[in-house]
Amino acid sequence: MGDGEREGPTMTDTKDHDAHAVTKVTPPGRVVALTGADGFLGRNLIGLLEDDDRVSRIVALDVERPATAGRKTRFYKVDLTQPRVDARLAEIFASEQVDTLLHMAFLSSPTHASAWAHELESVGTLHVLNACRERPVHKFVLWSHTILYGASPRNPNFLPETHPLRGHSESRFLRDKIEAEQVVASFARSSPGTLVTVLRLAPILGPTVKNYLTRYLGRSMVPTVMGFDPLMQFLHEVDALAAFKLAVMRDIPGVFNIVGDGVLPLSTVIHLTGRIGLPIPHPVMYPIVSALWTAQLSEAPPTFVDYARWLCVADGDKALRELKFRPAFTTREAVLDYAHSQRMRDAHLLRTTP
Amino acid sequence: MARKVLGNDPFGGDSPKPATASAKKPVPPAKKSAAAAKKGEKKKPAVTQEAPAITAAPAPAPDSPAPSMEKAAGAEVEEPSLESVIAQLDALLDQARDPAESRPLLDRLASRLKALTRPEEERALAPAPAAAPVLDDEPFDAARELLGSDYYLRRWGQTAIRDRSEEVDDFGLDPEYARRWQPVWDLLYDRWWRVEVEGIENVPTTGRVALVANHSGAIPLDGIMLATALRKEHPGARPLRWLAEDFIFHFPFAGAYLNRLGAVRACQENAERLLRKDACLALFPEGVKGIAKPFRERYQLQRFGRGGHIKLAIRTGTPIIPVTIVGAEETYPMLFQSGRLSKMLGLPFVPITPTFPLLGPLGLAGLPARWKIVFGEPMAMDAYRPEQSEDIVLVNRLNEKLRETIQGTLDRLLRARQSVFKG
Repeated sequence: MGDGEREGPTMTDTKDHDAHAVTKVTPPGRVVALTGADGFLGRNLIGLLEDDDRVSRIVALDVERPATAGRKTRFYKVDLTQPRVDARLAEIFASEQVDTLLHMAFLSSPTHASAWAHELESVGTLHVLNACRERPVHKFVLWSHTILYGASPRNPNFLPETHPLRGHSESRFLRDKIEAEQVVASFARSSPGTLVTVLRLAPILGPTVKNYLTRYLGRSMVPTVMGFDPLMQFLHEVDALAAFKLAVMRDIPGVFNIVGDGVLPLSTVIHLTGRIGLPIPHPVMYPIVSALWTAQLSEAPPTFVDYARWLCVADGDKALRELKFRPAFTTREAVLDYAHSQRMRDAHLLRTTP
Repeated sequence: MARKVLGNDPFGGDSPKPATASAKKPVPPAKKSAAAAKKGEKKKPAVTQEAPAITAAPAPAPDSPAPSMEKAAGAEVEEPSLESVIAQLDALLDQARDPAESRPLLDRLASRLKALTRPEEERALAPAPAAAPVLDDEPFDAARELLGSDYYLRRWGQTAIRDRSEEVDDFGLDPEYARRWQPVWDLLYDRWWRVEVEGIENVPTTGRVALVANHSGAIPLDGIMLATALRKEHPGARPLRWLAEDFIFHFPFAGAYLNRLGAVRACQENAERLLRKDACLALFPEGVKGIAKPFRERYQLQRFGRGGHIKLAIRTGTPIIPVTIVGAEETYPMLFQSGRLSKMLGLPFVPITPTFPLLGPLGLAGLPARWKIVFGEPMAMDAYRPEQSEDIVLVNRLNEKLRETIQGTLDRLLRARQSVFKG
């Protein structure tokens, strides 16, 4: 889902393109449906699942056809912001005999179009869940974030899954996602027939992913909060995809923090990426970021300054214990891999710009 | 080629400053060839900008002030009058005010700023004109390869964080940073406070253990001194983590530095996680009340929290070692608290001691009172089941026992002490 902007503006619900041509047969393997299939995670997961024999069919749901869609993939043009989308989703689930649904239609970066984002994320999740009530699926997997716990001076160094989601109440980006988690949690309670797995991913870094974080660390001067140096935790993009694949293959319900091993202070992260930190006192940091955000010059609204001040690090032990998920990259390796690709990008820019 | 340049020149520099200075040096010899051979090179504007500045700088300098100096000197030989002295002073002032004199400095500053804001480009391209000024493609490809190599990344990372390690442990302890500060703590420990240690053999070499100590002194360095004592005196040189109160842990700068040195924010989850990893953990159950008490209440133990440390020890089966620290109260005798300042800074208290904030950071060293640290007999918690951590009566009883042990040792040590400064 790396570049959530790809989800594009609202479009009308059109007829599916290439689905009706194929005759209906009960597939021997799993049928996996993905919402937000053209996001970073969706796109790459489709590519991974295409290669997996245990998956017989992939149902891609998005407003754009993902480029990775291959032989097994059927694409349906679905816009979750449309009012009657739940009936259409239920229809698709029934006709394709979907057993696993990955709900990943979320924005990976804060947007100024907050009303639209609310329709897509909070209300869109309601639509998806309504469709699951109408035509139950075997398993429902939700993409969530560890940043929803919120950065706070009261946080313990490692937040367990039981910690309440206390993301900044003024941040609509976080609030929409917290609302989505809440409706999914109540769905899990009321629908015992469906296994619900929630994966809370740490901020994703890697060579190909693009989000607010990669843009923030990609600045030549990276603003930080003077006198604060919180420990940061990242997840490599490969591990993010691996976690979703694991959730598809194993039937383990529950909420899991998916995080890279180890932590790094923000200053070390900036040094490792070869950038220069620009410390700004926190009383002026919020107004500055607020002004830059209004002028569309900043990656994130001022509520994200909290993450440069306080801890927001999650505990990945439960995922290791129950989901048997062990990340391949540590936080440091994720940063280095990201920095490596940034450097190549810098070199490329040097060559192409006069 | 590029690698050789990389090895000795810009990256060998210890900090960005020497690197830019050394990168600037090869510019004057290279500027002619570069300016002549490479028209389309991106670096060129910077070079040409710099070139006239450098040539212009020495040229007017002998030009303008020299005649006046000569005149002044000549006048002095003829008649050492008041006028000649004035002329001399004028010349000196002219020289000082001459823009040509100050321009190189400005240029230097500007180029340094530019190097700071665009390090990659500068670094990537700085060796290029000097290395191979003939071909257009070749030097750039070399730089590209260099940018993509792990070696570059490692070197570049190292120059920027040479005093810090690239990895920290789960709770933010930076071993490299902590090692750099060790001489300071050793100096304070050996020379300034001449710490005396008793009963360090009570601390086991392996396994989880909680050191519960009295908190004292308006500026809490007792955690660091306890860690120094264990490092220097304990046969296993046990590394110690200590829990720091929220207000100090989240105070700008202080918290970030303390975290790198090994402090951990005080909360049940953190303490439990550390103990389950068999750490040696120091706790100060008095918390802020212990360090915010005025000097007249010195060595009077405050309430030991709500017994959270006892519950923790029962739950994790951790033996508790009562630790008594004498001397820290006299190190930072708090004369009074500044209410207005603390409200402004958002702190529970701002201490005014004889040395702080009068002497600034140096005042943090406090007075050279002699310290004594006594490690008591361990209180084993094996006899209790983890469920009993919810037994309030038991927890309170154990807490009171622990508090009395420490208060008793405090009183014994204070009676035996002859002098605050000599021990």
